[in-house]
Amino acid sequence: MKRGIMLLGLLIFLSVSNQAIGADLESRIQAMEETLKRQQKTIEEQQKIIEELKDQIRTQIAAEKPKTAVATNEPETQKPAGPTGLFGGSALSNPNISLVFNGYAYSSNLTNDELKNRAIRWYTTDGIDRKNGFNLDSVELAIYAPVDPYFNLYATIPVTEDGTTVEEAYFVTTSLPQGHQIKAGKFKSNFGRLNSQHSHVWDFVDNPLPYRAFIGFGDEGIDEKGVQYTYLPPLPFYTVLGVEVLQGENTTLFGSGATGGPHAYTAFAKASLDVSDNATILFGPSVITGKTKTNTVQANSDFTGDSTLYGFEFTYKWKPSKFEGFKIQSEYLYRSQYGDLTDTTLGTVQRLERYQDGFYIQGVYLWNRWEFGARYDMLSIFKDDYNLGGAKQDIGRRPWRVTAMIDYSFSEFSLLRLQYNHGESDVYGKVNHEVFLQALFSIGAHPAHQF
Amino acid sequence: MKKLLLSFLLVVTLSTPAYAKLNVRATLPWIGSLAAELGKDKVNIKVIVKPSQDPHYIEAKPSMILATRDADILMYNGLDLEIGYLPLLIESSRNPKIQPGQPGNFDCSRFVNVIEKQPTADRSMGDVHPLGNPHYHFSPSNVLRVARGMAGELSTIDPGNAAFYSANLASFEERLRNKQTQWAKKSLKGKIFIAYHKYFEYMATEFGFRLVGYVEPKPGIPPSAGHIEKLIEIMKKTKLDGILVTPSYGKEEAEALSKKTGVKVIIVPQDVGSVRGTNDWFSFMDAVLSSLQ
Repeated sequence: MKRGIMLLGLLIFLSVSNQAIGADLESRIQAMEETLKRQQKTIEEQQKIIEELKDQIRTQIAAEKPKTAVATNEPETQKPAGPTGLFGGSALSNPNISLVFNGYAYSSNLTNDELKNRAIRWYTTDGIDRKNGFNLDSVELAIYAPVDPYFNLYATIPVTEDGTTVEEAYFVTTSLPQGHQIKAGKFKSNFGRLNSQHSHVWDFVDNPLPYRAFIGFGDEGIDEKGVQYTYLPPLPFYTVLGVEVLQGENTTLFGSGATGGPHAYTAFAKASLDVSDNATILFGPSVITGKTKTNTVQANSDFTGDSTLYGFEFTYKWKPSKFEGFKIQSEYLYRSQYGDLTDTTLGTVQRLERYQDGFYIQGVYLWNRWEFGARYDMLSIFKDDYNLGGAKQDIGRRPWRVTAMIDYSFSEFSLLRLQYNHGESDVYGKVNHEVFLQALFSIGAHPAHQF
Repeated sequence: MKKLLLSFLLVVTLSTPAYAKLNVRATLPWIGSLAAELGKDKVNIKVIVKPSQDPHYIEAKPSMILATRDADILMYNGLDLEIGYLPLLIESSRNPKIQPGQPGNFDCSRFVNVIEKQPTADRSMGDVHPLGNPHYHFSPSNVLRVARGMAGELSTIDPGNAAFYSANLASFEERLRNKQTQWAKKSLKGKIFIAYHKYFEYMATEFGFRLVGYVEPKPGIPPSAGHIEKLIEIMKKTKLDGILVTPSYGKEEAEALSKKTGVKVIIVPQDVGSVRGTNDWFSFMDAVLSSLQ
């Protein structure tokens, strides 16, 4: 019975509430219709305003166009520019090509023949390959570009009066995991400081005595076919560690016919610190070792043996602005060499051991567009052992030179340089007074220079 | 056990990017400032060029190479302003993330409406930038474009924080709108200046002043006596509001010119931090505009 009443009550309640909901719904629909109408009206009004605004903007743009066109000369600048490219994208040229002209006028108190025969006794029989008058060092063509996302390719092709050579042609990896890099082809070894630089970046026309004595007279330095691996470790200061495997054809250090395969190995470390906002130091040791077969040790004799050259470099550079700066650079080289020296006329063979060293120090002060430089270079600093057949030779006084230089840059791309060398590299010979007037010009997109 | 360790390792390696800050390297101070506005505490910023340095003559130092080694993104001005050192830094960084073509190689000028393009330029015209005038950081409208592009790039590289970057961009835009109404009140319209270098062309169009001459005869070429004479003649004919120079570029020449003509030298900061009290791009622009008044 109770259940019946409850059911009835529920039914009544449901029907009543249903009616109420029905009425409610109708009124709500009406309300919604009204809102819709109102909204439609506002939308129409807004549409009108938008159209009006559009027209206004159009007329404004039309009015402003001549003005902006004058200011920018670029009517279609509204489009976002495409990537500009870091490797000289401005020229839209791929690859980048540059030409460096390096020529000089030369005057010495020695005749051309005297220069040619001016050896550094106990070090090398190679003379000075320069002529009084006008000399064209080289016209150097440099080409470089990214090959693809994984490699950059560089080639340096100096054109001299004797013809064209490939000084450098190598690729560098760009996408190895963090810190690692491989360079392969023909390249200037990272041994020492001057060696890896092209001669047109040098602060003086010529290279210093230790380079001439141990690495060779010319600009090329240790410029070899081979592979280089370098690593930049995540340290708080810059350090690069590297090793190279090289063919070993440098004529002074190894001789072109030293062995049948790659036999020269180098290792180097370079560290750098910023001592202040504007001053930086760079320093580090290098070593190169390999087999030697050459005829430049003594006249009329062939040498076969092993050579190791050690180096230590130091550079301090202070450059507060484009118009002022100061740089000190120094390198110390030490060579140990031992093997058999064959006299080609007599056919006798003697044991030769050489432990010799040398260094240079140079300073350059930059003031506006002028640079003033001085250099002192010397051999037989701490070691001057020349043991032939077990007997130590008396090598006499030390070979040395002193240099003064002044240059003027018209712009970053042109430079005139005047240099004087007082050379006492020939222990028994005359003093060599040399004057150079060098001109360096660069056109095209040249790769940025290292520190 | 092995599985547990493996999954633990996986979790660790996957979760580290969320906690590690993004390494941002910027060539110029204003780019670093913009990155700080957008990245806040989610980025670790190092700026390569000092505010006191002239951005046209930067030499690649080994410490700069080291700074780019760990970069997740390298941001630069572009338009060849950094051509003298940046290609070398990028190659020597031994960092695949910032090589050209990678998302970590961010050229700000891509987003800019570039003016003064000179595709036929050669070096007899001095140090011209054939791609266009590179000093667009004085232009609020272009800096806004760069900020938008930058927020997008940061989100591409660090998608976990995309919402954060776009929120920061929104507040940057808000701040810029407020500033622009302030800046619009500065009365630079109709003013006439000469400048040492072509630094202020973007600003001139945006703020309505005129530049009628340059102390440099050609970009990057110091003035000759003859050029100065001609300039003095122009300066006598026109009523000038000042000679514009930057703290690092051409101050001495401008002062000499000022002595001869009586036109005052106005030292305009060239970048964020180059004068005191310009710690971010907004305060830098404040200082620039009040110096011109």
